[in-house]
Amino acid sequence: MSETMLRLENVDKFYGAVGKGVHAVRNINMDVARGEIIALLGSSGCGKTSTLRMIAGFEETSRGKIHLAGREVHRLPPVKRHVAMAFEGYSLYPTVNVRDNIAFALKAARLPQADVDARVNEVAEMLEIGDILGRMPGSISGGQQQRASLARALIRDADLYLLDEPMGQLEPQLRTLLRGRIKHYIKQRGLTAILVTHDQTEANALADRIAVMEGGVLQQYGSPAEIKERPANLFTGTFVGEPPMNVFPVTGSVVGDQLHLDLEGGLDLVYPQSAFAPQVREAIVKRGRVVLGVRPYAVRRSGEGPAARVLANQWLGDQSHIAAAFANGTLVLVEHDRANVDIGAEIRVALDPADLHVFDPESGKAIAHGAELA
Amino acid sequence: MEHTSTLEKILRGTAITLVILFFMFPIFWIFLMSFQTNETILRVPPSIVFEPTLSNYTALITGKLDTAAGTLEISFMKNLWNSLFLSTASVAVGLVLGVPAAYAFARLKFRGSEDIAFTLLSFRFAPPLLVLLPLTIYFQQIGLADTYIGLIWVYQLIVLPLILWIVRGYFEDIPADVEYAYRIAGHSWGATFRKIALPLAGPGIAAAGLLAFIFAWNNFIFALVLASADKQPVTVGALAFVTASGIQYGQVAAGIVLSILPTFALALYAQRYLVEGLSLGAVKG
Amino acid sequence: MSLQLIDIVKSFKDDVVLDGVSLEVASGETLVLFGPSGAGKTVLLRLIAGVIEPDEGSILINGENMDGVEPEDRGIGMAFQNFALFPHMDARANIASPLTARRESQTGMKRRVEEVAKLLKIDHVLHHKPKELSNGQKQRTALGRALAGEPKILLLDDPLRNVDAKLRFEMRLELPRLLKDQQATVIYVTQDYKEAMALGHRIAVMSGQGIAQIGTPEDIYLAPQNTAIARLFGDPVINLLDVVPERGAEGVQVRLSGTPVPLHQGHAASIGHDCVLGVRPEAIRFVDADAPGSFPVTIEAETPLNEKTVTLAITEKKREILISRPSGTPGPDRGQAHVAIDAGAALLFDRATGNRIAPASAAAKGEPA
Repeated sequence: MSETMLRLENVDKFYGAVGKGVHAVRNINMDVARGEIIALLGSSGCGKTSTLRMIAGFEETSRGKIHLAGREVHRLPPVKRHVAMAFEGYSLYPTVNVRDNIAFALKAARLPQADVDARVNEVAEMLEIGDILGRMPGSISGGQQQRASLARALIRDADLYLLDEPMGQLEPQLRTLLRGRIKHYIKQRGLTAILVTHDQTEANALADRIAVMEGGVLQQYGSPAEIKERPANLFTGTFVGEPPMNVFPVTGSVVGDQLHLDLEGGLDLVYPQSAFAPQVREAIVKRGRVVLGVRPYAVRRSGEGPAARVLANQWLGDQSHIAAAFANGTLVLVEHDRANVDIGAEIRVALDPADLHVFDPESGKAIAHGAELA
Repeated sequence: MEHTSTLEKILRGTAITLVILFFMFPIFWIFLMSFQTNETILRVPPSIVFEPTLSNYTALITGKLDTAAGTLEISFMKNLWNSLFLSTASVAVGLVLGVPAAYAFARLKFRGSEDIAFTLLSFRFAPPLLVLLPLTIYFQQIGLADTYIGLIWVYQLIVLPLILWIVRGYFEDIPADVEYAYRIAGHSWGATFRKIALPLAGPGIAAAGLLAFIFAWNNFIFALVLASADKQPVTVGALAFVTASGIQYGQVAAGIVLSILPTFALALYAQRYLVEGLSLGAVKG
Repeated sequence: MSLQLIDIVKSFKDDVVLDGVSLEVASGETLVLFGPSGAGKTVLLRLIAGVIEPDEGSILINGENMDGVEPEDRGIGMAFQNFALFPHMDARANIASPLTARRESQTGMKRRVEEVAKLLKIDHVLHHKPKELSNGQKQRTALGRALAGEPKILLLDDPLRNVDAKLRFEMRLELPRLLKDQQATVIYVTQDYKEAMALGHRIAVMSGQGIAQIGTPEDIYLAPQNTAIARLFGDPVINLLDVVPERGAEGVQVRLSGTPVPLHQGHAASIGHDCVLGVRPEAIRFVDADAPGSFPVTIEAETPLNEKTVTLAITEKKREILISRPSGTPGPDRGQAHVAIDAGAALLFDRATGNRIAPASAAAKGEPA
């Protein structure tokens, strides 16, 4: 990634007086390179939509700076920022048909009619709305309106494309299909896009980098793989990943040449000291208590290891999800074949040091991740 | 940034002050007039410096009006009581009839329900005098003329459509699922109306009642035609201040102050309900 | 208690939503109603609850006709998708509402509410009004309200739709135990196929104006009635490839990228017919070029999806196929590769009707068609 297209510098958003009102976005810094697709991922109220709206110019930037394509834009009105936006609430012009809605910006730019038609048809085909171009917005479904709104944004020439939950209203099967096509469309043209979503599957499938937000704070900004393999803190670790990461508080101590990680409820994980890098081992022992995280797919059933009692075993066609009572909590395992375990049965589980994540119990910050433990 | 917001504050403050001055000035002026004699009121140029007197209020309360032509008996306090009684009773009757009807119009979409609801609203379109002429004759024949019951009945023309249409809107805003949930939990239709619909539409009902009260209070023409002196509300009673020796501005002003006090107090009291009414959206969350 | 629907017809104005729906749910069974929005799932629930009336047909609870029986007299508990909590009552009063209707004693009521609240882990927020509750707590309060009266029939209308992914997953694992303890007959509406498979003893797939297929999760996933249903279950979606079965050296086969791929031998009757081959992404494996039945593909893109790695590849005939494998297992991520199909897991559909063609020998054994 080379040239920076968008840069947010110490951006804050207050609803109400600056410094006193509701602090919706807290000191965000991020860079987006030309041609990148970024997902702002978080649950409702995390500040992702406020951030997007500040970039678009629909919300005033309370503090900080926004640079777009080399210009300082945070004081400019939306129309001067050269961005295109697809709204969550569709917002089509109700008095003209879908085709004219999509073509609106191109017509305003006085493109030849043949070009306009060709481009509208192309984007409409891609989004599977080619057959409703002649209809009025009021007579089409919510999902179709949303796609028309998306088409209207994507067809424009802009420095930056802002997509606010662009597929929230669509049926799951259509969503899967369009994800691939939209990504292809954006990448093929070298466009830069920011997508706001609460759906991690969508973020993972579309984005080059994901910005995980919670409580107005940017929790982590990195590639999908980075976020999965090296979550920066407990929030990201348990928020991203489906099913969510298992977490257990443990007490660490060194006995002879073994590292003991004592779980609540009398269970004990014992590893040779050599399984952990010296500085990680030290960090665990020094703190005494740490939080251990392990992803469901990394938990394996094995003859030895601590026992767990099966609470649920659900087969989803290509995966089995097993929940088991374990150390005063619940441990979730994912197996890729159909698991033949009965509810109430006792299983033994193995937690490989290479799959563990270690977090600080107070700050929630990650101390070490799997592979680097040794 | 800080500068613009300070300037904004100043501009906003000025604008609000101007608006308040514009709208409140007549009321303020009347309030001052009520403490003055006719002479000080009518002097040229007018001044806000004067020697306050309670004579207007004492005249109203004792019922004795001293004019250049002698002492007149006026029944202002009786009128005030009539206003209070008529308005309260009309709103009470209107609520008892209107709230269940509004619920029916909101929830039961029966054949012709829209037409009936609209017909009820259309009573508000007709000029009152048009209705009054035939009504007077009927009322005289069936003995309802110059009775409280007759007046309260006619007041329903003002009160009922208002309550019906406002409250209906509030009922429609309550998600049907909330009521279904209560019924499925094992409660009857009636209990659901009392325990769910009524409390949730409460702020709306209060707002409608308040508005209806104000409309009833301010009514002039029905009472003028249908009621004799001892049943008249203040709006009609105020005519007594136009005497042979001129208009008694001081007493008129005092009368106005006394007559707006109840509605004013009611509005202040009901304000919190009105605000709650606006936040009813929480139901949908 | 059992529940029976017989030939239910319901329309709104000219829009026929349900056209002759019949359904039987055994006592203690959890039946999932699954389908896209607008398929009439919620309407069906409301009919059972009695808040709307069917145009035709009858609803029987434990053999008793519910025609004209008011909702409050049907002995039903229901949880709504948008929770529908009573906003002016605290969580305690919300949960207690089925008990107040029965004029239960104060102490009995308190005990039951606290029991349910504890089970659902909301005993610490019972004094909160709905607007002071988080989404997850609202959802649990709504569920608690449905359970408090110990109804014998429980209607759950997409209760996990409006909660975040993490809570949805936790509740999905927790709900079967909860429902089993209640010993209730449950009808569960959802649009999420994973919820449907995880929670349902049986799944009724709704589409058009009725039920397109009803069966156990195994029936639906492994033997879908038609291509439309096959596409509704599974993520990523099933691969559907136009094929014409032919007779090969080893029996019935199809050609993919020019390479013969063997089929179930029971498909002899379909030889020469226009068919669609349905292969789930997890039934395609990367193999060496010389492995039997392998055919070449070009890899286009690779994306992670719920602990799986999904590869989009293109066959020599420019057909897109999706291949999925567990995360962390090795596989090529670009360029040319060879894949093989697990013949036992491949489904065959009639191209004209979209209906599944059951292999002959399996049909003889009485497997679901």
